[in-house]
Amino acid sequence: MSTDEQAPESYEIRVQGRLDPRWASWFDGMTLAGAPGGVTVIHGPVVDQAALHGLLQKLRDLGLPLVSVGPTAGPPAAVPPHPTA
Amino acid sequence: MPAPLLQTKLHVPRRRRTEVARPRLLARLDRGWESALTLVSAPAGFGKTTLLTDWLTDPGPGRAVAWLALDPRDDDPAVFWTYLVASLQEAAPGVGAQARTLLASGDTAIDTVLTTLVNDLGALPGDLVLVLDDYHVIDAPDLHEGIAFLLDHLPPQVHLVIATRADPPLPLARLRARGELVEARAADLRFTAGEAGTYLTDVMGLTLTAADVATLEGRTEGWIAALQLAALSLQGRDDATAFISGFAGHDRYVVDYLVEEVLQRQPDDVREFLLRTSILSRLTGPLCDAVTGQDGGRAALDALERANLFLVPLDDRRRWYRYHHLFADVLQAHLLAEEPDRVADLHRRASEWCERHDDRPEALRHALAARDFGRAADLLELALPAMRQERQEATLRRVLDALPDDAVRARPVLTLAVAGVRLQYGELDGVETHLRDAEAWLDGPDARDADPELLRTVRAGTALYRAAQSRIGGDAQGTIGHARRVLDVVGDDVPLERGAAAGLLGLAYWSLGDLGAGHRWWVESVADLERAGHHADVLGGCIALGDIRVAQGRLADASDAYEHGLLVATRHGSPLLRGAADMHVGLSGPLRERDDLDGARSHLTTSKDLGDLAALPQNRHRWGVATARVRIAEGDLAGALRLLDEAQAAYVGDMFPDTQPIAAWRARVTIAQGDLVEARRWARDRGLGADDDLTYLREFEHVTLARLLLAEHDAAALGRATALLDRLAHAAEDGGRTGSLIEILTLQALAARARGDLPAAVTTLQGALTLAEPEGYVRVFVDEGPRLTALLKAVPTHVGYVRRLLVAASTTSGPGTAPALVDPLSPRELDVLRLLSGDLDGPGIARELVVTLHTVRSHTKAVYAKLGVTSRRAAVRRARELGLLP
Repeated sequence: MSTDEQAPESYEIRVQGRLDPRWASWFDGMTLAGAPGGVTVIHGPVVDQAALHGLLQKLRDLGLPLVSVGPTAGPPAAVPPHPTA
Repeated sequence: MPAPLLQTKLHVPRRRRTEVARPRLLARLDRGWESALTLVSAPAGFGKTTLLTDWLTDPGPGRAVAWLALDPRDDDPAVFWTYLVASLQEAAPGVGAQARTLLASGDTAIDTVLTTLVNDLGALPGDLVLVLDDYHVIDAPDLHEGIAFLLDHLPPQVHLVIATRADPPLPLARLRARGELVEARAADLRFTAGEAGTYLTDVMGLTLTAADVATLEGRTEGWIAALQLAALSLQGRDDATAFISGFAGHDRYVVDYLVEEVLQRQPDDVREFLLRTSILSRLTGPLCDAVTGQDGGRAALDALERANLFLVPLDDRRRWYRYHHLFADVLQAHLLAEEPDRVADLHRRASEWCERHDDRPEALRHALAARDFGRAADLLELALPAMRQERQEATLRRVLDALPDDAVRARPVLTLAVAGVRLQYGELDGVETHLRDAEAWLDGPDARDADPELLRTVRAGTALYRAAQSRIGGDAQGTIGHARRVLDVVGDDVPLERGAAAGLLGLAYWSLGDLGAGHRWWVESVADLERAGHHADVLGGCIALGDIRVAQGRLADASDAYEHGLLVATRHGSPLLRGAADMHVGLSGPLRERDDLDGARSHLTTSKDLGDLAALPQNRHRWGVATARVRIAEGDLAGALRLLDEAQAAYVGDMFPDTQPIAAWRARVTIAQGDLVEARRWARDRGLGADDDLTYLREFEHVTLARLLLAEHDAAALGRATALLDRLAHAAEDGGRTGSLIEILTLQALAARARGDLPAAVTTLQGALTLAEPEGYVRVFVDEGPRLTALLKAVPTHVGYVRRLLVAASTTSGPGTAPALVDPLSPRELDVLRLLSGDLDGPGIARELVVTLHTVRSHTKAVYAKLGVTSRRAAVRRARELGLLP
């Protein structure tokens, strides 16, 4: 994908493992929501590809397995997070 | 003086406590002692470092271990290679001394540095393993290329080990196919059920049922960090089973959940300590105290280490530690969530402590993390000279990019640094903005009260960058104006800036054709650069001096310039400076001109033997052209063309004006071969015309055009050639370019002869001889072939000189006489030759070959030239002599 094209403004990243809402500030600007199967959906504005890769690296460094990454128009259809144990 | 290296990065960890025995993995890793690369690739917390530490503790007699713990700052060639060499030196003291010197000089290509390193490694008597831990922090493609180069050239007793969270962009498939790769990946590193059990019960001393162990192992999937955290959470608990089933019953991010558990079980002061010090990349007692504002940091670290709370020691003396990365990340996330306002303050305290303790890079990192950009900018300004000296351009760029515009704009030194970085990377639009900012500062209120030293620095820096900018834009007058201003502003105590400005002036005047001024400024530049100790740049200057002298027709002075360069290149001992090879190429020129072909060849061979280690990037093509000129003198035009083609392929531009483009040389050789088609095409492509305005930069091309016109054997072309040569002669004379003038006069003599005006031809030739005799020119006359030789015989004066020239013409086979088929016939030409031996006439041959008559005539002409004949009958006879025809 050429960086000159109109880049999508939001991305949705799904990882295996539910992240406590507390983690939102670690991924500043992104929202976290739960999805079935113990998946966390991280969604929000991403400025460019470099920012996307930075975000993916943060997830990598936490050892969170990536499930999917993709551009998105609006907020994800998600299940609200389970109450913490 | 390079900054001291952090020894903790080079520390080879040793196994310090009992870990779970993993014989199957260790056996696999042992194959690494026979492979080029061992790759341990798995996410954070999979026990990579522990495993490698275990494997490499007590490697056995005759085996050495080198270790480099990488961090994000190493993603800069200047930093990375220095540390890599240092890590090797720790393990094998004899290795890398030369590499270290080359790196410190900052002018050497990395392949050269690595080659010396590889040579040193090849002499090692025993096996050596080099571990690069946390390789995933390396992003720069040229660093990966350097590692790939190392892998390709490692001697058999040296083995690379890479521990990383992401597969590196190295030729893994190729290594795998060759059996040179040992791999351990996440699936291999996970604890098996058995290993998990051993860890929990034997190592951590927990009392668990088999079911408990199985549940834990299932939930964590053998992720070691998670098991460690689980074990810590279970210590001292009575309700192990309840905890475990609770833990298994949800799908929360395991590490986060467990860290929270562990944190909850700590006393408040320990918890606070953990959270607040989590921002540090390296921890030591006093630094922790500065950050937490408490005492007892050292004791706290000891306690944490004993409690196995994810502290990794970085030395043997228990002074420096780091947190396990995963643990630190989670702690930081907690800190960010709980005390967001405190984070900046913690970083600021860390920054101040690091600055007081001379760890400027870390102080900078913390200042940026604190978003205290004013402080970061100030720290950067202080660090700038050292960073420049150590060529840490990548780091400089990274930090500058992290600073907001207003922080940079307020500091003219940083503004200029950004301009410099942009210039270096060729981002010219950015340069203008920052130069304007610097100039705005000079005109503004802050400048009035500023330190005069600072003012001078900013004025000089701005002028120097403007001069460089003008040069890139081809604006010679602009370059001159700005460069002169630099010299007005700076004193004698900054030879580097003076030398740079003088060099820019030399370039500008040279490209304008004012060779006298160009030479004078280059002399100054070389002197200043020598005082500044920038020897590699000195060599570049010597090439400029030599080339200018050759253009001025002062061959002896040119040789002196190259000799001086050679002295500079060799006087500092081994290794030779880059540029020594170039000096030999330079020296070959005057020798060749004076017809000492053996001497010329000897220098060219020496240059080749010195190799790339001793050569500037331009030497490849310069060597090619110089050697091609020797071939021309030997009469081997085909060989000359081959060399010119190689030179073109190897061409690397530089700041010097391209006064003799390779394409023009090529045209000259093909003209001498009698093939005008290519030369005509060249002239068209270059937009050259006999009526062009003449500039110094195109002089060589215009003289080549004159040669083409002369070779056309056409009255109109001859007229244009005569007019062009006349103008060229005047321009060369006005510019003091005696070297060019000698050649131009020679061509004028040939033109006059072609016009049938023998007296004018002789007179003009006499003019050339007068100019040429003091310096002993030979080839400029002899290479023109028999037509000029015949003219020489008609010259009544310069008796001794002419005699020498005629002797030279007869002993060396010039391009005018064709030795036994140095230039073989092409298949097409052979076809024509065969038909020439028969009865067909021109049109008949054309029909037979299904080509135009024009083509037949072209081929016939080429055949005659190559056989050295002028008639069909002679061609056939000669071809039979040479065995080309039966």
